[in-house]
Formats: sequence, C-alpha cells, structure tokens
Amino acid sequence: MADAARNVTAPPLDSGAAQARPVSGEPVEMLLNMGPQHPSTHGVFRMVLWVDGEKIVDIVPHIGYLHRGSEKLCEGEQYHQVITLFDRLDYIANFNNEHVYVRAVERLMGLEVPERAEYLRVILCELNRIASHLLFIATMGLDAGAMTPSMFCFRGRERIQALFEAVSGARMMHNYFRIGGLKEDVPEDFMPRLRELMPQIREDLEESDKLLSFNEIFLARLKDISPVTAEDAIDYGLTGPCLRASGVEYDVRKAAPYSLYDRFDFNVPTGLDGDCWDRYYLRVQECYESLSIIEQAMEQMPAEGNVLSSLGRRLVRPPAGEVYVRAENPRGEIGVYLVSDGSDRPYRLKVRPPSFCNLSAIRLMLINTWVADSVVILGSLDIVMGEVDR
Amino acid sequence: MLNSIKGMFITLLSSAKGLREPVTRQYPATGNLLQREEAPTPVQPRFMGFPALTWDEGVGEPYCTSCMVCIRHCPTQCMSSTMKDNPLQAEGKSSRRKIVDSFEINLNRCILCGICVEWCNFDAIVMSHEHEMSTYVRNGDRVDLPVLLELGYKHQKETDWVPPTKRGK
Amino acid sequence: MLISWADLGWILLSLFIMFNALSVVVLSLTWLERKALGRLQRRLGPTRSGPMGLLQPVADGIKLIIKEDIIPSSSEKAIFWGAPLIVMLSAFMIWVTIPGAQDAVIKNLDLGLFYIIAFSVIGILGLVLAGWGSANKYGTLGGLRAAAQLVSYEIPIIMVAVSVAMLAQSLDMREIVAQQSSYPFVLVQPLGLVVFFIAGLAEVGRTPFDIYFAESEIVGGPFVEYSGAHWSLFFLAEYINTFAIAALTVLLFFGGWQFPGVELAGYLAVIWFLFKVYLVILVIVWIRGTFPRLRIDQLMAFAWKVAVPLSFLTVVMTAIYQFYGWPAWSLTLMSLAGLVWVGYAIYRRMAGPASRVAQTKKRIQARQEELMAARRNRAERTRRG
Repeated sequence: MADAARNVTAPPLDSGAAQARPVSGEPVEMLLNMGPQHPSTHGVFRMVLWVDGEKIVDIVPHIGYLHRGSEKLCEGEQYHQVITLFDRLDYIANFNNEHVYVRAVERLMGLEVPERAEYLRVILCELNRIASHLLFIATMGLDAGAMTPSMFCFRGRERIQALFEAVSGARMMHNYFRIGGLKEDVPEDFMPRLRELMPQIREDLEESDKLLSFNEIFLARLKDISPVTAEDAIDYGLTGPCLRASGVEYDVRKAAPYSLYDRFDFNVPTGLDGDCWDRYYLRVQECYESLSIIEQAMEQMPAEGNVLSSLGRRLVRPPAGEVYVRAENPRGEIGVYLVSDGSDRPYRLKVRPPSFCNLSAIRLMLINTWVADSVVILGSLDIVMGEVDR
Repeated sequence: MLNSIKGMFITLLSSAKGLREPVTRQYPATGNLLQREEAPTPVQPRFMGFPALTWDEGVGEPYCTSCMVCIRHCPTQCMSSTMKDNPLQAEGKSSRRKIVDSFEINLNRCILCGICVEWCNFDAIVMSHEHEMSTYVRNGDRVDLPVLLELGYKHQKETDWVPPTKRGK
Repeated sequence: MLISWADLGWILLSLFIMFNALSVVVLSLTWLERKALGRLQRRLGPTRSGPMGLLQPVADGIKLIIKEDIIPSSSEKAIFWGAPLIVMLSAFMIWVTIPGAQDAVIKNLDLGLFYIIAFSVIGILGLVLAGWGSANKYGTLGGLRAAAQLVSYEIPIIMVAVSVAMLAQSLDMREIVAQQSSYPFVLVQPLGLVVFFIAGLAEVGRTPFDIYFAESEIVGGPFVEYSGAHWSLFFLAEYINTFAIAALTVLLFFGGWQFPGVELAGYLAVIWFLFKVYLVILVIVWIRGTFPRLRIDQLMAFAWKVAVPLSFLTVVMTAIYQFYGWPAWSLTLMSLAGLVWVGYAIYRRMAGPASRVAQTKKRIQARQEELMAARRNRAERTRRG
C-alpha cells in the first residue's frame, strides 16, 4: 500500500466537487464531504473525498472559508498597523510573522536594529516556534486518538504564553515588534523567568515525547503512511518540516541566514522516509534545537541597551521600491513581497504562506490511503487555515 | 510492546502527580449556590485588556483632549470622539485648552493591539485589565465617556498608574 | 398458568431494581471516568456541581433529557427510533443473569454464560441500524466498522469463555465463581485473561479500539445524528456494557465475590465484588489515557491473526490439561508461554516500523556527533585566531 502511494502522480485537479471524478475511472461507492465543520480538519478546511469502502480514491480540497482579504487590507493600513494583521495570519506563531514583516520594512528603509532588540526578537521567535510545535504534537496525538499528550503539551504552551503575556501584554496577538526594534523593553524579571522556564519546557516536551513518539500503536498509525520522496517534495514546493522530513536539508535559517541566526550553532534535523512519523518526530527534534538556540542567545545578549532604533516612534514612509524577505516559520518558509510607492501605506503586499504551499501536496499524499489516515496526514502537514486563506 | 508499557508507567506517574498537584485551577466563580467566591487568575502587569480613559485627579478632569491621534491610528476604526472648550481653563484651574466632550469605543471591534496607548501624547488612554465584558445586547459593548473614565479610574487605582510621560527612564 | 402472580410481581420488582441500580452505576462510571482521566492528565475534572463534582452526571442527564431530540428528515424514522432501543435492550438483558453475589441475581440460569454472550451480540445490530438509518455517510461508515469490529472480536470472547467453562465444568455463573474458591482462574489461565480483556475492550469500543465512533475521524460514527434522549440511550448502553465486561472479567478470572480465605456473606460480598469491578474499570480508564487509536485494518488484522488463534490455543491447552489430568501449574506454564508468544508476535508486527525508527535515530545521532565535531573544530580555530 505504501509503495503504491509513493508512485502516485496526481493528475490535474478538476475545478469543483461536482466535476470530481476518481482517478481510475472505475465506479466508486461514496462521496464523503469532510469539513469545513469536521473536528480534525484543523480549522475550516474542506475535503471532498471519493472513497471506495474506506480507501480514498480521489480528493478535491476546498479552501477559502477563512478568507479575510488580509493582503488587500494591508494596502489600506499604515506600516505600523500592518503588524496587527500579520499577527492574525498564522495565529499560532505570531512573533515569527511579525518578525518577517518588520524585517521587510527595515530592509526597504535600510534601518539598523539595535542588537539587544534583535536578540530579544530571536528569543521570542524561537519560544514561539516551540509553542507552535507543542500545539502540533498535541493535535497529532488527538488526531491519532491519544488524549493525554495533548494535555502535557498544552501545559508547556501555557507556560510560554504566560511569559509572552508578561512581555507583550497579550497571549496571542502580541503586536510587540516594531519597525526598527521593539515596542518597549522586556520587563525586569524576564531573564530570571526565562531561565526558570527552560527546564520546565524541556520537561513537558520530554514527557509527551516519551509517552507518544515510540508508542507501538502510534508508530503503526504514522510510520510508512503517505511517504513523500524528496523530488516530489521539492516539486510541490513543500518547505519547513514537511520538506526536511523527506531528507532535504533546507532551512532558511541556515541556507540564507537572516537576523542573527549565523551567530548560533544549531542542527537542522532531517527525516529518512518523509512519512507522517518523520514529519512528526522532526518537529520534536526542532523543539530541542530551538531550546539550544535560546540558551545561546541568552548568553550572548547584551544586558543593557536600546530596543528601538534611532528612528524612534513615528510614521514610517519607506522610499519607493520593492523587497522580498523570507524567513523560517514553524510551518515552513514564509515570504513577504512588499512594494512601496513612498507613501505611509504599502502599495502592495504579497505573502507566500508556508501552510498554503504545503497544503497543495494533500492530493498526492491522500490518494490510496484510508479514511482514518486522512486526518493523520492532514495533521502531519500542520496547516493553519488563517494563513492558507489569508 | 516495551514502549507501550513504559507509556503506561508515565501516565501512572502523571496521575500520581495529578492527585497531589493538578496544573489547572478552578475557573473563578462569582458566587453560586454555595456562595463560593474565588479570585480570578491574576493577569500579568502588562496585560492589555480593553482600552479606557484616565482621570487627572489633580485637576479633576480627564487627561484626554480629544486630539484624535488614537482615532487616526486605530487599525479597526473602533473609536470616535468630539471635543469642546475646557471650562476649567477659563477658570484658570487647568492648562488644557480643549477637553473631551464625548468618546465612544466599540469594544466588539477593538482588537486590543495597544496602538492607541502608544501614540497618545497626553497619557489619556490606557489598556485596562478588564477583559470579561460580554453582554447580551448586540451593541452592548459600545461604551461611552463615563464608562471609559470609570474603567480607567479603576485601573489607575488598582495598579498605581503613573503617566507614561512622567515615568523616569 | 405458567407463572404465578406473585412470581410475576417479584420479577417486575427485581427488574425495576436492576434498572435503577444500573443507572446509578452508569452515573458513577461517568463521574469516575472524567475524574480519573482528569487527574491522569493533571487536570481537576468536574468540580462545579456538588461536592467534587459528584452531581455532574445528574446535571448531564437532566441536560440530555431536556435537549431537543432531532430526527433528520432524510432518515429512516422507524429504524432511527428503534436502533437505540435494541442496543439498550441487549445491554440490560445481560444483567438478568450476572450475579453480584451468591443470591444477588435476578434469575440464575444454568446456561448463564451462554445467555450472556448470545445477548451481547444483539447490540451490534442496533449499531449498524443506527448508522444506516440516520442517512449519514459518517454514520454508515461507523456502523459498518462496528459490524466488522464487534463480530470479529465476538469469537475470541466466546472461545475464552469456553475455556473457562471447561475449567469450571459449568456454564452457570455461580458455579464458575464457586469453582474459584481455592484459586482464581487468572492463575491458571493468564493468557485467557489477556485475550478476554483486549477483546472485551474492542467489544465495548474503548480506547485503543474506539474505532467505530472515532471522534477525530468519523465524528461519532453511528451516533453522529443522534441527540438528546436517544443519544443518552447509546451512552447508557455503552457504559453498561463496559461495566458488564469488567464484571465478567472479575467473575471469570478474579473469583467474583470470593475473598481468599474468608467466606463473605450478604452485602459484604457484593461490596467486595463491586470493588474488584471498579478496579478493572480504572484500568480501562488508565488504558484510555495512554494509548492512541488503531486503524480499522490493523484492528481486524489483530483480531484474526492474533486474538482468534490465541483464543483457540486457550481452548486446546485447557482441553489437554483436562484430558490428561495434569496439575494446575502445568496449565499456568502453558498459558504464560502463550502470553510471551503474544508479546513477541506484537513486537514482530511492529518490528518493521520500529527498526526503521531505530535506523533514523542512529542516523540522527551520527549526524549530531559530526556536527559537534565540526563545532569543536570551529571553536578551536577561533581560539587560535
């Protein structure tokens, strides 16, 4: 079964559910509409499955239920207001999203960011990466039917979010990064709290890792399910953990180091087979790598210093021009293409969301698997609909 | 097989811990049949709840002069206000020439981003710690000046608020 | 006159008592499960209604009864209405002959074990009808999954029950318990216990076999269209079945109400029996808190490749033991050998993925060592300038 799935080359998509026909052309039993109100489609994603018994013959994905027109909205907002919209794209990894946007504007203006601010940004982004991956592990467990790991993971995530609340005032929609630095310096007890937090996160992570990762039933559910070859992964434009699980060592933090990532020693874990378990376990390993990055950043960070550039707090008007900036989000490579006409609002802002591109491979992955596998495979892609639909 | 057995022991250990010290806590009740009352989970000092207007006790008037900076910078256009000549200034008690006449925030629309507080030049607006303001009426969360001032005054009292421009760096 | 008025009255009264007792048991089970699962995950569990949330099941029950009972317009009305009753009926009928103590039984039958197994199968019909009658594709999938799963796991249960009946030389539940006065059957037939327990979990659809109503896949399976009182009937039946499987495990393998060395009588026996049953229930909850769910094909493979052969093995082993009149410990040894074989079989079944995982791990380790070496080299170079 697994070998068959590996060799499937997905034919071109039809335009809609009504036109959807099974690949083989043979009659099938049933058309199963999964979503948008299904508990395991991670938001409002809808799949129309052609099933033959419990085997998936064909699938037509439907997106757009959470479309808010974020890119168009960005054209009507001033540069500092756009940050709030970026918070709401990938609503699990808010700091990472803010980071890539403010970097785009800074690049356009040629701004120098104070070192302390940049270190704090990296620490917060990596913490957010861990929080995001913890949520992934939790939902992966739930998709496979295990309840307890989700509770363990949410405990760790909750601790991280309490720290975020102390820093930025909000648990999710922070609006804390500013063009040229940060909104304000972190509270005085930030470093002691972070030092206290690190072993706690590690403990929560290890507990759920030990409970779930090598459980026999979990392995049977995830190992060898919908393997994606490196060629296929590259062809479909997969990025992030989904690409690395197929054995391609590509991480924007290493391939094109941005921010301060060239100052840290960290590994880029890769998988062997590109199956669901590899995609899962790779994220567990990435959490440990992020912890080590945070530890290094804590050592290197200057204890005192400005956190906002000389520009200070004022309306920004970048010079006319365009810029493309990319970064490694928890879900993959996010790209921001920003065009400025010299006014106080972006002329055009295009986002390349990792979830959307990863989701495009869903058809390749799902054909010839079981209905029960579909939720696991979708879970292993780790999509966030806010980012897919924008 | 071995890992499954290991997993069983992990959950057993976890339940032993759970019996001693559960991680979660009771959601606060404001009095029920048994008249219990629990304190809500404390928020962090920087917590951003709904915005509120501050009260200048030295003069006895709001800080806000209705200069419209917050309104212009609000990403969701959830506020509106009007200004008037300050009667206290004519009496010589206040240095503010203009003062807020009416102020309305649609809290259903507010996204709690804190941009208004950041841009205010008169220390007039704060993010209070209030976050449970649901009502049964569709427009029940369109709050006007008295409510905002009350919220702000409560926040000032609770947190020993110092105007940002007077804070030592 | 087949039956006298007094007897009829007595039967009706005892049925009424049984119905109420089982309802109380279900209430206690829901509370116990939620509380135990909560503590296992380091949560509080229900706390609001009553002291320690003890009234939570009552509140749930009231809510379910008050709730609107929605019937989908495209459903097959009669079947949609009748299916929960069939499931419910089979769940309750079993309890007519399950004894709680020597005399705490409504009607002890000579063929008690046979009767219990025969009636527990009827529930499957209700599930399939519920899935089909609700005119929902998730429901249909769930109903068919239920049919496949429950029918397959019926066989191991029957065969293990047969081997126990051979040990006790009776199908009478009271007689089976009485035979365990010197030692419980778990000591001579541990393999039987494991197979019976696993098959029992599958039979009542507890994790890791909650496949026919898997919430994350087919959102409740046969129950997806049910609400209100009809849904609560399924709920009731599920918990009564769980309780029945736990009770049967105790009766067949742990000596029922027998206390080693002491002759318990009256209420004490019933309490001791209930204590044992609730311990088994706690184990079921513990398993629910630990394991993910299997896939339907893996479940069927486990049934036909592992559980069914093993259950036949228990019968053969018991027969050999009975025929040659060997001492009891010989059966224990045989059974344990079988158990080790199960473990090995499952281990081999998982060996494919596990070896790949080990390979991945080794590769990761090698890479990390390489990177560490590179890091050391770099540090060396920067120190030298």
